[in-house]
Amino acid sequence: MTIATGHAAALQRADIKRPNVFQQMWASRADYLYVLPAIVVMLVVIAYPIYYTVELSFFKTPPGLQLRDKVFVGTENYSTILSSDVFWKVTVNTFIWTIASTLIAFVLGFGAALALHRDFVGRAILRAILIIPWVISAVAASYIWKWIYHSDFGVLGAVMVQLGLADRQPNFIDNVHTVLPSLIVVNIWREFPFAMIMLMAGLQTVPDQLLRAAKVDGASAWQRFWHVTFPHLRGVSTVTILLLAVANFNSFIIPWITTGGGPSNASHIWITHIYELAFGRQRWGVAAAYSVLLFAILMVLGYFYVKALSGNDKQEHGA
Amino acid sequence: MAQVVLKDLVKTYGSVYAAKDVSLTVNDGEFVALVGPSGCGKTTTLNLVAGLIPITSGDIIIGDRVVNDLDPKDRDIAMVFQNYALYPQKTVFQNLAFPLQMRKLPKDEIDRKVREAAKVLDITHLLERKPRELSGGQQQRVALGRALVRDPAVFLMDEPLSNLDAKLRVQMRSEIKRFHQDLNATIIYVTHDQLEAVTMADKMAVMNGGLLQQYDTPAQVFANPVNMFVASFVGSPAMSLVPLEVSSTNGITSLTSAEGWHLPLSAENARKVANARSKKVVLGARHSTIRLHKEKLGDAVPAKVYTVEPTGDITFVQAFLSGAIVNISLPPSVIVEPDEMVWLEFDQDRIHLFDGETEMALRAE
Amino acid sequence: MSSTGDITTPRPRKQIDGWRWTGRIFLVIMLLYTALPMAWMILTSIKSGFAAMQFPPQWWPTEPTMASYQKLLDPQNSVGQDFLRFFWNSLFVSFVTTILAVVVAVPAAYAFSRFNFPGRKFLFFSVLLRNMFPAVIFLVPLFILMRWLGLVNTHGSLILTYLTFGLPLAIWLLKGFYDNIPIQLEQAARIDGATRFQAFLLIVTPLSVPGIIATAIYSFIGAWNEYIYAATFLTKNEQLTLPVGIQRFFSENTTDFPGLMAASFIMSVPVVVLFLLLQKYFVRALTEGAVKH
Ligand SMILES: Nc1ncnc2c1ncn2[C@@H]1O[C@H](COP(=O)(O)OP(=O)(O)OP(=O)(O)O)[C@@H](O)[C@H]1O
Ligand SMILES: [Mg+2]
Repeated sequence: MTIATGHAAALQRADIKRPNVFQQMWASRADYLYVLPAIVVMLVVIAYPIYYTVELSFFKTPPGLQLRDKVFVGTENYSTILSSDVFWKVTVNTFIWTIASTLIAFVLGFGAALALHRDFVGRAILRAILIIPWVISAVAASYIWKWIYHSDFGVLGAVMVQLGLADRQPNFIDNVHTVLPSLIVVNIWREFPFAMIMLMAGLQTVPDQLLRAAKVDGASAWQRFWHVTFPHLRGVSTVTILLLAVANFNSFIIPWITTGGGPSNASHIWITHIYELAFGRQRWGVAAAYSVLLFAILMVLGYFYVKALSGNDKQEHGA
Repeated sequence: MAQVVLKDLVKTYGSVYAAKDVSLTVNDGEFVALVGPSGCGKTTTLNLVAGLIPITSGDIIIGDRVVNDLDPKDRDIAMVFQNYALYPQKTVFQNLAFPLQMRKLPKDEIDRKVREAAKVLDITHLLERKPRELSGGQQQRVALGRALVRDPAVFLMDEPLSNLDAKLRVQMRSEIKRFHQDLNATIIYVTHDQLEAVTMADKMAVMNGGLLQQYDTPAQVFANPVNMFVASFVGSPAMSLVPLEVSSTNGITSLTSAEGWHLPLSAENARKVANARSKKVVLGARHSTIRLHKEKLGDAVPAKVYTVEPTGDITFVQAFLSGAIVNISLPPSVIVEPDEMVWLEFDQDRIHLFDGETEMALRAE
Repeated sequence: MSSTGDITTPRPRKQIDGWRWTGRIFLVIMLLYTALPMAWMILTSIKSGFAAMQFPPQWWPTEPTMASYQKLLDPQNSVGQDFLRFFWNSLFVSFVTTILAVVVAVPAAYAFSRFNFPGRKFLFFSVLLRNMFPAVIFLVPLFILMRWLGLVNTHGSLILTYLTFGLPLAIWLLKGFYDNIPIQLEQAARIDGATRFQAFLLIVTPLSVPGIIATAIYSFIGAWNEYIYAATFLTKNEQLTLPVGIQRFFSENTTDFPGLMAASFIMSVPVVVLFLLLQKYFVRALTEGAVKH
C-alpha cells in the first residue's frame, strides 16, 4: 500500500526551482516560429519608424528629405508647434471630430442593430444595404459626398431649396461653420455600419433564457433591455467605441479628399495637418514633432484599447 | 497490452504543484481508477501519461519503454476525453477512421476496422452522421469507438461518463466494464465519482491536492483508509468524523467530548490512540456501523437529531455529536424527529481513529 | 425595443407597438441616409456631363447614358487603359496582401491562443497597439525605409505596409476564434497519431475557416481601399492603385462628375460583392471570436 506523506494543503506553494527566462524561451523556441513572421513584419514597419520619427523631431531636415543635411535643433520643433494658433484650432477640431463621430456612429449603429435583431421580411436585404457604406472605399465616399455637397449642383442643397428650407444653394463645405459637421456626417455614414455589425454579433450572444426569465419576472421591454441586454453588451460596446475612437482620431481620407483641411483650416484635424506639414510644406521636423505628440496621446488611448481588446485573452495552457 | 509505471511524477504550473511525487504501477490488464475532488490533479496526471503536457520531473514507463520524451502519437495509447472531443467537422465514420489514417493503414483495412468497432459499440447506423447530430450517449460511444479501433497498449479515460444522465451512466458503466473484461485491456480511468471507481476498478488511486493519498483495491481503501481525507472521500454517505480528546482514568483510555461524555475504548483501540502525537484524536465511523437508541444504553453517547431523510428502504439521519455531524442509517421502521435527543453506540471493531494533528490513520503497532 | 422576440405579456399592446414603430421609422431613416447617396452616385454616373450640371438637378436622368462606363472600361482609349491598369494593380496588391495576411496571421493567432511562451502577452499587446497608430506618422520613416529597401514605386512596398495594418485586427479576430475551439480536439488528434502541426492543420484549421474567411475579407477590403501609402510610395502612373489613380485623374478633370461617380461605382463593386457574399462568415467570426466574453 502506498501512503502519501505530509499535508495536502501545505503543498501548493512550495519551493520550486523555476527555469530562468532564457531556459523557458529556449524550451518554447518552437512556439516562436508561429509568431515570428508577424513579429518581423511588425518590427520592420513599426519599431523602425517610431525610432525615426522621434529622431527627426529634433532635427531640421531640408525639403527634399536629404537626411545627410539635417541639422540638430533641439526642441525647437516642439515649441514651434505649441506656440502656433493653428495647433490649437486643429486640436479642437480633432476632438470635435473624434467625439462626435464616435458617439453618433455608435448610437446609430446600436439602434440599427436593435431594430434589425427581430426577424421581418426583407431584414437580410436591409442589413446588407446598411453595411455597404462601411465596405466601399473612403475615397469613393468622399467623392460621392463632395458631389452631394457641391456648391452649385449639389443635390442636397437643391432639395433644401425645393423644400423651402433655404432660399439659395447652401455652401456646405466652403463655409467655416458648416464644413466640420458636414464632414462628420460623411464619416458617420461610413462608420455606423461597423458599430452595427459588432453589436449585432453581440446581440446574438445575449442568452435567450435570461430574456425569457426576465419576461416571466414581469419586466417590460424597456426593463429587459436595460437590465439584461444592455449589461450583456457592455464588453462589445467598449471595444466598438474604442475601435471607432481610434479610427476617427486617425482619420485622414475624408477631410483630405473632400476639403484638404480648408477653408482656412476649419476642417483640418491632426492627421491631415501633419500630412500637409510633411508632404505639402516639407517641414519634416515639425511634422515629426507633431507625430511624437500624437504618440503620447495615443498611448493613453492605447492603454484602454489594449485592455479592452485583450479582455478576452483567456488561455488554456499546454497544447 | 502493457503495464504502466509512474515514478515520482511531478508537474508544476508556476509555483503550484498540479501533481507531486505520484508513484504507482498499473499492471498489465488492470483497471485503475484515479479519483479525487475537483482540481486535485487527475486530468493532469492522465495528460502526463498521454504526453499531452511535458512532465516537470519523474519517469513514465509504458510496457518496457521510458516514454518521458515521446510524442503522444508514439506512446501507443488511446484516450477518451471528458467532453468526448469528437471532431465536429467529420462524420462518425471519419472520426473513427482518423487514428487509422494517421497510421497510414490501407483504405480497405480502415474500412473493415471501423465497421468492426462500430458493430461492437452498436453505432453502425450512425456512421454517416456528424457528432452534433448525436445524443450524449451516442457521442460517448463514438468516443469510445475512436479509442477502440486501434487496440493500443493502454486506454486512458478522463471522466468519460460525467456528461451523461444517471441512468445512461449506470448502463455505460457496465459496458465499459465488459469491454475491459473482453479485451483484457489496461485502463486508467479518471473520475471524481468514488462510486464509479468502487464499482468498476480493480484498484483505485485516491488523489488530493496533487498528492497520491492511497493506492489499493476498492475494498481495502474502503476498509482501511490511510487518512481522514480518504476516509471522508470514499463511501456514501461520507464517513462521520468527530474530533475528540484522549483521556485516561483508572487505566481505562477513553475519548472525551467537550460536552462532557466519555467513550471508553477497547484495548486494541487504546493501543492505537497511544500512538497519536497529541491528545487530539478524530473518531471515524461509517453510517452502517453506528446504532441509534432512544435511551441511554451501555457506552452510547448523546446526540441531537438534525435532519431525517427517508429514502424508502433506508432512512438516513444526521445528528450533532460533540459539535460534528454524524451520518446514521436506520430501518424505516424506526421513527425519529428533528431535535430529538438520541443515543449513539459505536462498534469498537469497526471504528476508525485518526491523529488529530497529522490526519493520518492510527495503527495499533 | 425589438430584441426580445414576440411578446405575450399582459402589458398593453400599444406600448409594444410603440417600440416596434420607433424601430421601423428609425430603420427607414437609416435606409434613406445610407442608400440615397449611393443612389445619387449611380444616377449621376448615367448622365451626360451636361445633364449632371443643371440647377435644379435632373432628379431622374432624362437621357440615361452609359458613356462614362464605356470610357472607363474601354481598353482602346487612354482613359480606359489607365483605369483598367489601376483596377488590375488594386486587384493584384489586395490579393497578394490577403494571401500573405492569412499565412502570417493564422499561425500567429494560433500561437497566441495556445502556447505560453515568455513574452507572449507583450508581443500580443504590441501587435494590437499597431492599430493605434495612424498611417500618416509612419509615412516619412516608411518612405525612407522603402527607399532604402529599394521598394519605392513597387507594389512590394504597399503589400508590406498593408500587411502590418491588417494583421493586428486579423490576429485578434482569429485568436478569439481559436480560443473557442476546445484544446481537447487537438489533444485527441495527437493521441490519434497526429503531430502537433498535423493536429493544427487537419483538425483546427477546418474549424477556423469562418475566421480565416473573415480575416481574408477584412484584409482585402483594407488593401483595396487604402489611399495614403499608395499616394506616397507610388509616383509612376502605371503602378497606381484605384483610389490614388482616380484621385489623380479627377484632380485634372474636376468637372467630370459622371465619370467620377462611375469610377467610384466600379471601384466599389468588387468589395461590396465580396462582402455581401461572405458577410455571414464575418458576423460569425465576430460572434464566435471577438465578441464572446
Ligand atoms: N494549464 C494550467 N495552468 C495552470 N494551472 C493549471 C493548468 N491546468 C491545471 N492547473 C491546475 O492544476 C490543478 C490540477 O488540475 P486538473 O485539471 O488536473 O484537476 P482535475 O483533478 O482533473 O479536476 P476536475 O475534476 O475538475 O477535472 C488545479 O489546481 C488546476 O488549477
Ligand atoms: Mg479533469
